[in-house]
Amino acid sequence: MRRTDRYRYWVVLVGLVVLHFTVRERLGGDRVAPDFLLLALLIYTIRAQPGRSAAGGFVIGLLRDALTPASFGAGALAHTLVGYLASWAKAVFFAENVLVNGCLFFAGTWLRNLVVLLASGRLAGAQLGWELLVWSPIQSLTTAAVGIVILWLFGRWVAVRRADA
Amino acid sequence: MPLGADRYASRADTLLFLGCVGLSVAAMSLPDRWRDPIAQGLRQTVLAPFLALQQQTELLSAARAHYDAVVAQRDSAALAATFLPELRSENVRLRSLLGLGVRLGWGYVPAEVLHQPEPTNPLTFVVSAGRRNGVRPLSAVVSSEGLVGLVSTVDDRTSVVLTWAHPEFRASAIANDGSVSGIVAPHGAAGPGVWLLELKGVPYRQQVLEGTVIVTSGLGGVFPRGIPIGTVVGLAGEAKGWERTYLVRPAIHPAALSHVMILTAARGSGGGADTRGAFQPDSVRP
Repeated sequence: MRRTDRYRYWVVLVGLVVLHFTVRERLGGDRVAPDFLLLALLIYTIRAQPGRSAAGGFVIGLLRDALTPASFGAGALAHTLVGYLASWAKAVFFAENVLVNGCLFFAGTWLRNLVVLLASGRLAGAQLGWELLVWSPIQSLTTAAVGIVILWLFGRWVAVRRADA
Repeated sequence: MPLGADRYASRADTLLFLGCVGLSVAAMSLPDRWRDPIAQGLRQTVLAPFLALQQQTELLSAARAHYDAVVAQRDSAALAATFLPELRSENVRLRSLLGLGVRLGWGYVPAEVLHQPEPTNPLTFVVSAGRRNGVRPLSAVVSSEGLVGLVSTVDDRTSVVLTWAHPEFRASAIANDGSVSGIVAPHGAAGPGVWLLELKGVPYRQQVLEGTVIVTSGLGGVFPRGIPIGTVVGLAGEAKGWERTYLVRPAIHPAALSHVMILTAARGSGGGADTRGAFQPDSVRP
């Protein structure tokens, strides 16, 4: 592994974070626009071990909770779970395949929304159903699509290298 | 190196995961008085640069939208400014036309000149008044400066004006002081004098001084007496020692017109036939 690969990997992650705070609002409503921050976490979990992925998820979730204090802690829990499970799933279903990674992004986003909604307890009934069955799948789809594009463009930079993670 | 079972079975990973879950649950159970300061602290420290970035992005977006609006307004203003001199000129002309209308009192129809992008437009042009407005063929067409031409064809709502520049234009003319008379016609269709008139048929023994104002004589019944035609600028020629021809600078160029007044047939006879008092004294500059 070249020394610059590590930096490129972080450049991709930082780039996603920047995109989240810059262009995301122009890509549609909050409920359908791709979640670049979560995507950065999921890409991080491709290379990181489950423990670090969980910690990364916790940090990201807590920071997001600071921006949405109404569900403080729920985001941290959801991102922790998603980070850990994504990393675990990559271990189980290890395959450098675009479709597998796309499914991982889709499932990760939907699971995050599910946990946030259930843990925060803010929504119930039909509202919860709409969120989980309509809006969350759409957002998961857009996030997965962006994730696939990112992997297609920068796949070599974020390739799974267990020993370097 | 492929993943092995030891990867996700690592005790450290599990403990870290459980610790994070525990912290998350603890965060969820925090009372508001503790939760809010933590969230506020995160926003003011770690998240501050990202929030600033987002704010700048929003400002940039709003500024861009505002910029587009400003550019559109600027372009409109620039376009309007392009026509400003013409608008001022037209405004002055309209005001003077209004003054002429007051002085004429009656027997006229105002009309707009419907210019066409044709090189022959100064010879004949269409005006926005026709039969419905009382316009009749051979009606005199004037502006506040003086004679423009006469109506050659009348439609229902428009008319065709044959200007003094047209080769077939003729007008019976007289010096403003009544000293000489003659026939005014276009000087020529080519050369530097194409936009000049000539006063023909002046008796050889009569001298017309440069700067003499020429007006319509009222003879022939087409043009009322006293409409300024132009100013004598020099001698054009002599014919066999019995007549002289003088060059006349027209009072108004047809291409410069935006509005005209068409004198109706009723003015062609009776007391309204003399319009000398209607035109401004300085409308024709010597």
